[in-house]
Amino acid sequence: MFSPEGQKKAEHILSRYPIKMNALLPILHLAQRENKGYLTPEWLEHVAEVCEVPATHVEGVATFYTMFKFRPLGKYHLQICTNIACGLCGGEKILEHVEQRLDLHAGHTREDGQFSIEEVECLGACGYGPVMIVNEEYHERLTVEATDKIIDELEKNTKELPEKILPLDRPLTA
Amino acid sequence: MLEETLVLFKNVRQPGYSGDLASYQSSGGYSALKKALKMKPEEIVNTVKESNLRGRGGAGFPTGLKWSFMAKGTGKPSYLVINADEGEPGTFKDREIMLKEPHMFLEGYMIGCYAIGCHHGYIYVRGEFVPAMQRLQEAIDECYQSGLLGDKIAGSDFKLDITLHPGAGAYICGEETALLDSLEGRRGQPRTKPPFPAVAGFNGCPTSVNNVETLMNVPSIINDGAEAFKELGPPNNAGTHLVSLSGHVNNPGVYELKMGVNLKDIIYDIGGGILGGKELKGVIPGGSSTPVLRPDEIDIPYDFDSLAKAKSMMGSSAIIVFNEDTDVVKFLYRIVKFYNHESCGQCTPCREGTNWSRLMLRQFVQQQGTPQQLKRLYRVGGNMMGTTLCPLGDACAMPLRAFLEKYPEEFQAHFAEAS
Amino acid sequence: MPTFYLDDQAIEFEPGEKIIAAAKRAGIDIPHYCYHPALSVVATCRMCLVDIVDMGNGRPAPKLMTSCSTDAAEGMKILSQNEKVVEGRELVMEFLLVNHPLDCPICDQAGECTLQDFSFEYGSGNSEMEYSKRVYGWRDIGTFVTLERNRCIHCTRCDRFTREITGTNEFGVFNRGHQLTVDTFTDQPMTNKFQGNMADICPVGCITEREFRFKKRAWKLKKTNSICNRCSTGCNITVEEDKNKVFRFKPRENQEVNQWWMCDDGRISYRDYGKNKNRFLQPMGRVKGNLVKASWDQIFEALKSRIADLSPNPNEVVALSDNFASNEELFLLKKMLADVFDSDKIFFPLRAWSQHETAYPIDSLITTDKSPNRAGAIALGLLGDEDDAKLKEALSETVKIAFILGNPFNEDNEILELLAKAELIVYIGTENNHWTEKADVLLPGQTHVEKEGTFTNKNSRVQRSNIAVKAPKETKPEWMILTELIQFMGKDADFHTSRAVFEAIGASNDHFKGMTFDSVGDLGSLLTSI
Repeated sequence: MFSPEGQKKAEHILSRYPIKMNALLPILHLAQRENKGYLTPEWLEHVAEVCEVPATHVEGVATFYTMFKFRPLGKYHLQICTNIACGLCGGEKILEHVEQRLDLHAGHTREDGQFSIEEVECLGACGYGPVMIVNEEYHERLTVEATDKIIDELEKNTKELPEKILPLDRPLTA
Repeated sequence: MLEETLVLFKNVRQPGYSGDLASYQSSGGYSALKKALKMKPEEIVNTVKESNLRGRGGAGFPTGLKWSFMAKGTGKPSYLVINADEGEPGTFKDREIMLKEPHMFLEGYMIGCYAIGCHHGYIYVRGEFVPAMQRLQEAIDECYQSGLLGDKIAGSDFKLDITLHPGAGAYICGEETALLDSLEGRRGQPRTKPPFPAVAGFNGCPTSVNNVETLMNVPSIINDGAEAFKELGPPNNAGTHLVSLSGHVNNPGVYELKMGVNLKDIIYDIGGGILGGKELKGVIPGGSSTPVLRPDEIDIPYDFDSLAKAKSMMGSSAIIVFNEDTDVVKFLYRIVKFYNHESCGQCTPCREGTNWSRLMLRQFVQQQGTPQQLKRLYRVGGNMMGTTLCPLGDACAMPLRAFLEKYPEEFQAHFAEAS
Repeated sequence: MPTFYLDDQAIEFEPGEKIIAAAKRAGIDIPHYCYHPALSVVATCRMCLVDIVDMGNGRPAPKLMTSCSTDAAEGMKILSQNEKVVEGRELVMEFLLVNHPLDCPICDQAGECTLQDFSFEYGSGNSEMEYSKRVYGWRDIGTFVTLERNRCIHCTRCDRFTREITGTNEFGVFNRGHQLTVDTFTDQPMTNKFQGNMADICPVGCITEREFRFKKRAWKLKKTNSICNRCSTGCNITVEEDKNKVFRFKPRENQEVNQWWMCDDGRISYRDYGKNKNRFLQPMGRVKGNLVKASWDQIFEALKSRIADLSPNPNEVVALSDNFASNEELFLLKKMLADVFDSDKIFFPLRAWSQHETAYPIDSLITTDKSPNRAGAIALGLLGDEDDAKLKEALSETVKIAFILGNPFNEDNEILELLAKAELIVYIGTENNHWTEKADVLLPGQTHVEKEGTFTNKNSRVQRSNIAVKAPKETKPEWMILTELIQFMGKDADFHTSRAVFEAIGASNDHFKGMTFDSVGDLGSLLTSI
């Protein structure tokens, strides 16, 4: 099921571990990106074959971690932290504002597929709250105004987003 | 006026420092590695042992001792795995290291690998840290290109590969045995001990799991010696540490401080005082799982032992400050909700207790609390303490009990009016 | 052996043994849910907490420890009844019940549910949980079991079972925290042949046998030790009945045979003992082509005079038995043939069989050899070969009298045709079949659960089955029929019990030398010589 390019990446990932099962998390990340951001039963089975583990094991692992999704997300996936430190600094206000502005509840994807919002736990940038991750890019010390500016750009599709890439994707020079 | 003591961040604080290999090397970087590669591995373990370096991940276990526990002569490979699954709310120092000074950490890591005979290291980074992972991977690539990693590192006969392993969103993977399960490709559920990782860790091989910041201390220990490191702090609390300061302070951020400096000074001198000139209401001194301190309890030295004396913990050196406007009930609800969300669910008291506590607290948040409910909350919360397989139950119970003990009036204010 | 002390009782242990396992060997059950001796230790239910006041080095453990994961140590002093432990268990029980429905009245597990039992023994008796509990639907998850996840207490024994015992990996643990749940991969049904065991090891009513759903309250069932006769493995079981009706078979632990397990085919075989329209319940004789009922005395008298009329030579009498007959039955059939007719032409079907061996020992429970007493027939000297050549040779000569026990050689019409030429066919068994169509005399025997006897399994282990239900009035156990027949024919056979028959085997057959019902016991014993 992996594209030829994905297959190459998968092989590179597998080569970095003593046994294939060890590569399960990075391979799941890779599969998720190949399938536009979410996993399906077919992909779980494919990953099971690649990593030589039972499919139940893959489903058990995939459902354990919050970053694996089983439904399509928006083109822009906004993760807003309302945890302790961000919460103290107004994370909930940012979340409420984004929900209102996009007319979308956290945990959902907008019908046009442009946006999805997720209320998340600590993102590990507590000194710079409130924090929002757009796809994989951190936005820190947010205010309502700053958030609006980001969403303006997203709505106009003018925002440049970093290339979605995980470290193991690239072959090492060694 | 309290100021930073710069060892780990001595380069980071230089204006214009980029943190790439060239800039790190031009400030003396990788000299410790070269020195270490000429030493015997046991010498390094002993030096680190003598330095009294304690783990910076939260538990404060002596690093040299941990390395010396590694099972020898098993015929299996040994592993040094890095815990960069920084997830304890309030803690964001490892991310800062990976973004700003990856090479000092990598140098320490390489020395550690050499010391315990690890030929393939894995860095388990939490999945959300994509930018930090990219930065760290760039640094690793630089090392491969310049021969600092690979078959003969830094011109020695030692072979070392380092692989960065992305997590996927699970706080519990910060617990070392859960991290190993996750790294192996399983659900990140803590294991029952024994066996300890030093005997059977990654894939059943002897493994030491260390925090990012812990290893960042190793180059200076090798270069300047164990004594110099010890002298940096009070007895039993050697070295400097990176303090994550967040919440209602004017200057939140990561600061490098000596151990044992005054906690109050950290908040007022380093943090620039309370945001908006408000009154301080409380301080969580070591990450969200540590018992809260009231304003009259913070005039104490900030180190492992003094905080234990104050019936709290230094944990991962993460200070969360909150001011008089904070709704303590809602604040605690958010903490408990976090632990509820992150419970792996395998063991009974934590799986059921975190959820039940959350439901009760939600009732308080909705102004529907009752005196019986308050008693029950205290009881149920406490019942998670010491009865679970891993410390997550404790991590939820400790702040819960501390908040109920220290701010009873706030909870009473959330009783339903009828009662 | 090293020793530790549990509530002041000295308990010996093997080095490396866990506290809970050593205590169990000494007859002390420490309450637990997730621990199972067959499965890896996860130490997650937290029910088996004990207070280790001395770890064997003079120091106490820092907190309550799980006895399933803690190695026993020399000189360890453990308390399992003190206030701390009682309180610990009480709080674990409270947490376990937070999301457990109180549907015991409609739960099949009620009566054999450890959650129910421990709740009664160690729980506080009241619940302070006032929020709605989590709710899932129930459904069949395979060919044999039903999943009702509301009742799950997350012990994960089921998950470990398909991982570690069957290796089929059909079952898993999904999600996390309070949403943790067990299920099959993307809701696909399970296909392993041992699903019933998952119902057994599930400590609550989350996984239950579909066959048994809503059939009977567990506490009404009377249990009799027996063995399964579906194949030559001879899994140890309990036959569970109420009011003379068999409701189920459950495996009974025997480390030498089936450990804790049995296959689903064996479990389903309980169905064979329900109402059976095909069964004949009275002795019958053929008069002018039709079978007519008779009393035992009438039929024996008639038989005696018919045999006298025929006065057969030794080689004109044969006996055929299937492999479902017990050692005692085979012994007596052979004895009758020898004593009354001086014949040794007693045959049984000896079929080629194979054993599928895998890395998972449980797979060895299933064999292609569906004959529970083939090894007994061999040990008792019955004749048989793979293509029945000896039998066919014997039948090619004149056969005047044939005795048929059970339903042997039913797959081969040639044998039936050859034998139909006999002047007298005496059938001993329970059901009408193609033999009874040809038989001149039908003697009603009893089913596996109605009589007792011993069987020799594929590994030459002699095991006992016992009387679990009352047999219909006019029937007799086969060993009694054969004993009486020998007596009627004027020969010596002084057996009043099957026990006595087995002792006679032990006295006369070297393979069984010295064996008795008592020496075989509940767990069986190997043939004295093979």
